[in-house]
Order: sequence, then structure tokens, then C-alpha cells
Amino acid sequence: MSEFHVDMGPQYEGEAIRRENVQVEFGGPKIPHKFELVTLKGLDEVEHEKIEVIGPDIKDIEEGASSPLAILIDVAGEELEKDMEPVFERRIHMYSNYIEGFWHVAQRDDIWIRLDKAAFKKGLNSLREIGEILIFLFTSELDIIEKISVTFITDGEKVKELLPNALTVYEARDARARDLGDEDVDEFYGCILCQAFAPTHICFITPDRMANCGAISWFDGRAAYKLDPEGPVFAVPKGELLDAARGEYAGVNAVAQEKSLGSVEEVYLYSSFGRPHTSCGCFQSICFYIPEVDAFGIVYRDFIGESVIGLPFSKMAGETSGGRQVEGSCGMGLEYLRSPKFFQADGGLRRVVWMPKDIKERYKDAIPEDLLDKIATEEDVKNTDELTEFLERVGHPWVKGEVEIPD
Amino acid sequence: MSITIAVAGKGGTGKTAISALLAALLAKESPPVLAVDGDPATNLHQALGLPLDDETNTIGGIRELMEEKITRAEFAPGTDKQAWLDARIFEGLVESVGLDFLAMGRSESQGCYCAVNHMLRYVLDKLAGNYQYVVIDNEAGMEHISRQTTRDVDVLLIISDPTARGITAAVRTRKLIDDLRTNVGQIHLVVNRLAGDISPQMGDLIAGAGLDLLVTIPEDPNMAPLETEGGPLTELPPDSPLRRVVVDIAAKTGLLAGKPRTSLF
Ligand SMILES: Nc1ncnc2c1ncn2[C@@H]1O[C@H](COP(=O)(O)OP(=O)(O)OP(=O)(O)O)[C@@H](O)[C@H]1O
Ligand code: SF4
Ligand SMILES: [Mg+2]
Repeated sequence: MSEFHVDMGPQYEGEAIRRENVQVEFGGPKIPHKFELVTLKGLDEVEHEKIEVIGPDIKDIEEGASSPLAILIDVAGEELEKDMEPVFERRIHMYSNYIEGFWHVAQRDDIWIRLDKAAFKKGLNSLREIGEILIFLFTSELDIIEKISVTFITDGEKVKELLPNALTVYEARDARARDLGDEDVDEFYGCILCQAFAPTHICFITPDRMANCGAISWFDGRAAYKLDPEGPVFAVPKGELLDAARGEYAGVNAVAQEKSLGSVEEVYLYSSFGRPHTSCGCFQSICFYIPEVDAFGIVYRDFIGESVIGLPFSKMAGETSGGRQVEGSCGMGLEYLRSPKFFQADGGLRRVVWMPKDIKERYKDAIPEDLLDKIATEEDVKNTDELTEFLERVGHPWVKGEVEIPD
Repeated sequence: MSITIAVAGKGGTGKTAISALLAALLAKESPPVLAVDGDPATNLHQALGLPLDDETNTIGGIRELMEEKITRAEFAPGTDKQAWLDARIFEGLVESVGLDFLAMGRSESQGCYCAVNHMLRYVLDKLAGNYQYVVIDNEAGMEHISRQTTRDVDVLLIISDPTARGITAAVRTRKLIDDLRTNVGQIHLVVNRLAGDISPQMGDLIAGAGLDLLVTIPEDPNMAPLETEGGPLTELPPDSPLRRVVVDIAAKTGLLAGKPRTSLF
């Protein structure tokens, strides 16, 4: 682009800018207040292509210095939706890194940006030009954006003053993200990283089901797939919903067959029986069936000692892992406990009768209040005899036959 | 693409000294260089004369912090974990002139974290691409090579002391590499602190194992005083034997021979 002082394109994405080459740094570890925020506004509220710089510009900042920064991008368009804000916001990262001599790391209130001395010498000496390039990239790559304006704030006091508002927006988005269900999306993600150890294992990662290791949420899956479409995390088109209660999807089955070389044919995302999800070796926790009470217990990696069935986590993990479908013994990410679909086909949380005290404490806001003190921990019972007696005594809803199993 | 040099060998043979001098030489001749300390005890920075403000700011420490945050479900659903990790790794980088430094540190976690390791590898590969050279000072146990944190190595230097035991250990290291099939370009043996020439017996031992003896290094009289003062090895006089042989190493392995600059800067 001849109208700009520097070149741009995906070829600059991996480029890092080393300390000694820094003309100016925005945000990063030395700067307490920094953030970026994309806000969807009405068509009459956004002045198209308006760029504003509040506070010192690049050329006013001492060479090698660090400065606060807020990047505020307002967008408008008939077809834009609120949920696109975070997606556009990640594009700031992507497009900034397209700019020669400009480097952007992280997100939200954690951003860290550097401008290379060489780019500065070429004439890139104003945030205004960064704004022009960003607007150029946003509008040429995303047709649905009809109007866009960019504001850069380098005045530390002003950034500090506006930061709480941004944090509120991030929190609201996180709340919406937590509410996202499997029915709200068309695509799940799969991960085969653990096939090195468990050759038939595929993690299916959905809004309602965190990956076994707890490291990859549906959002992480989406980001990883976009970053590296050929990588170990891939998209799984949902396909037809074959069994709503058990969470059986045609798309999931097809991928399971393909990636397990035929050894896994069907997968139920929300049941521990029949065709449960496979377990690799990386799972954070295990949901295990306790035959004596015909209900479930949860045990996790950091649990010391023996669970209520008299076995330590390591022993139980050995019996669960390896990429097999083990009925009544499923490796899972702990966050699955928060899912409204948590083994719903088997009775869900209301069929859970034992878990470590630590986990109960950590997930108490996810457990129905009336159930909380009816789930035993290692402090209440030591074995299944004591457990049976405990459940009778407290009147656990499963024992009382109050839990309905969907069909 | 950057050129990766890994320095390995049994404990106390001079890995750190040679890594530091080689990294400093390359940083002067063809910057930038990334020096990686693979020893959990983290001491390469001292040999290079670099500060380390935060001892926990190592790859191992960052990995553990991430695992802890995952276990505690502390990542907000709307944040990108890879992006978070990228920033932490850059924070862990000690940035100097012509050379940056990164410590592997220790990782004691029990869990299995394929996903975290994968994300880590992604950012480290990307980072490494920004340097002309990556010099890795491995710990005696070769953990990073065996765990494949280090993947392709262009030049592997196995350092040995001038004893039969030392050479036997070097042969074992070589076997380990062959078994793991880590992609290694050149593999050479360096015998350090040798008085005089290689004895015929030792020569046979080396040749019998199929090792290529690149150079031998004599005892360097300037090392002990420097060590007493605690000064960085970069203060060794230019005609110091250790320093001179490191130049030899760079020349003989072709590290300095007209390598085209592919820098992004
Ligand atoms: N050629 C030499 N002449 C004199 N002293 C040397 C020589 N090479 C190394 N040393 C000294 O030997 C000691 C061990 O060297 P160094 O720390 O480099 O070894 P290392 O292989 O990195 O050890 P470790 O396995 O403990 O990390 C140091 O005190 C160093 O100064
Ligand atoms: S446990 Fe984690 S790393 Fe392993 S396959 Fe599942 S998502 Fe991937
Ligand atoms: Mg050492």
C-alpha cells in the first residue's frame, strides 16, 4: 500500500520486536493500565473513518519508552450483532501484527504493543496511521462493517478512568459465554493431541462440554483451529442431533469413526453409559459409577488418598484411560460440572453422591442448594457402607427416587 | 529460519561456559541470538552477565502457573489461553544487546498437560524464528532433548572431560539422540580441560564409538580468577584458550561461514 509508510500482510505475523529495536512500547508488564475494546453502535452513532488520538502520539514519546494505551474501536452495520464484538476485538491483534514493524501480544486489559525503530524511521510516527491501516484492514476484510472509528488514548489518567468500564464489558461477555449451549452453535471442535498416548482418543469440545484436560474450552478450540487449521485441534460440524438426551450427534460420530480408525463408532456427550466419551490420560477428574448405590462419584487428580470406593486416583485413572469407552468411568474436565448437560442422560448432578471436599467447595455455586449438603465428601464417609448410610440419613434425592431420567 | 545449537554432556564438563561464549560470539558476529538455559538451576545468565529479576519467570514456572490457573478454572471463557501464554513467555524473556535469554526452569507438576505443552511449543517455535541463532545449554539429563521441547537441532556439541568415563557418557548421549530420532544435523564431541594431546587409547575409544572429535580445549588459567570474582565469562580476555577454541568451534561447524541474513528486522 503506497499510501502508508510501511508494508503489511500476513508475512509479518511471526515478527517479534526486540527490546533494543523498540521505538515505543504500549502496555505490557511495565504499564498497569491498558486495554482494547470493540463496541457495536448504531449507524448514526459512528462517524465513519474518524480517528482520534488522545494524549501523546508516537512522535511525542521518548525513544524506547513505555506508554499506557487504550484502543477503542466503534463499529456499526445493519447485520452486526453484539456477539461479534469479541471476534472483532481479536482482529485487532491479527491486523496489528500484519503491520510491518508493529507487534501486538495478548488481549483485553493485558495488551502489549511495540513499534520497531526501523518502521518509525520509514515514517510511521503517528497512531493516526495505525488507525488508518486498521480501518483499511477491517473494512476490506469484513464487508459487514459499514462504519468504523478508532480512538487511541495514551493519556494514562484517562486510560485508568475508562478501564473499569472495559472490565465490566469483558465480564458481561464472559457471562454470555458461560450461557452458550451446544444448541447455539453449528460447530464443535475436536482435539487429537493425546493420540500420542491414546491412539483412539478424540476429545469433543463443545460449549457444554469442556475438554478432558480442562485446558481447551469451545472458545479455545475455535481460536486454536483458526490459528492453525492443519493442527491437532479441528472443527467438527455438529450434523444431525440423533439423541438429544444422550447428546449424540451425527457429525461427532462421523469424526469419531474417522479419527479413531473405526474403533469408536458412536459417542454420547452427555452419558456415562452405552457409548461414553473416551478418556485419554490427561483428564482432570473422573466421574465414576458406584454400584452399591447406583450413583456417581467425582474424583480429581490432586485428591490424596483413596476415594470412597477404596481406590486412589492413579489406580482409577489407569482403569479409565487409554482412549477406550469405559462405561461408568469417564475422564472429564472439572468445568463440565457447571454444564447444564452434565451427564444429563444419567440423572446429572442429582445422581452425584460423593466428591472431594475441595471440589465441592470450588463448585458450590454450580450445585443446586438443596443438594449441596447431601453429597458426601471424604470427611463424611470412608467407604460405600458409610456412604449408603449417609445417603439414607440425609435423604439424597437420587436415593429417594426423586431424580428423573430423560429418555 | 534460525540455526539451533545444543550443548550437552555430563555434569560439570563445561557446557555452560561453552554455551555462554558461543552465544556471545554469535551475538557479536551475527545478531540476534537467543540463549536458552535448559538447566533447572538456571545459571547461564550469570555466565552471560545478564540479570534475572524474577527467578520464577521461567518456562517451567509459567507452565506451572498456567496449569494452576486451568485447575482452578481461572481463565475467563472469553480470553484466549494461547494469547495469554504468548505474553507471559515474552515477559520471561531477558532482553539484552544482540542477545535475549530464556530460562527453562523447573516444572514439577504431576499432571499430564499435552495441551499446555502444545501451546508452549507453538509460541517457542514462533519466538525462535526471530533469531539468527538459538543456543541451548542443556542440563546433564538431556531432558529437553528427550522431551522434545527442543526439536530440530542443527549442531549438537557433546562436551566431555578428558576421561574414559567422560567419553563413555558422551557415547551414551549420542545413542539417546539416535534412539529418539530428534532431528540433528551435525553431532560433534568436544573434550574439555585436556592437558596435552588425546591419548591413543582415548582416540580409539572415540573413533570406535563413531564420534567426531571437533576440538579439544586446554585448561584455561583465566577461568578460576574470573570465577572467584563472579564475573561473567564474557570478560575473559580474547586470547584466553577457552575463548579461542570457541571461535574454532564456530568456524569448524560453519556457523559463521557466510550465513545469509534472513532477519525480519
Ligand atoms: N577449559 C576450562 N578451563 C578451566 N576451567 C573450566 C574450563 N571449562 C570449564 N571450566 C570450569 O569448570 C566448571 C564447570 O563448568 P560449567 O559450569 O561450564 O560446566 P557445566 O557442564 O555447565 O556444569 P553443570 O552440569 O553443573 O551445568 C566451572 O567452574 C568452569 O569455570
Ligand atoms: S485432553 Fe486436552 S490435549 Fe488431550 S485430546 Fe483432549 S483436549 Fe486435547
Ligand atoms: Mg551448566
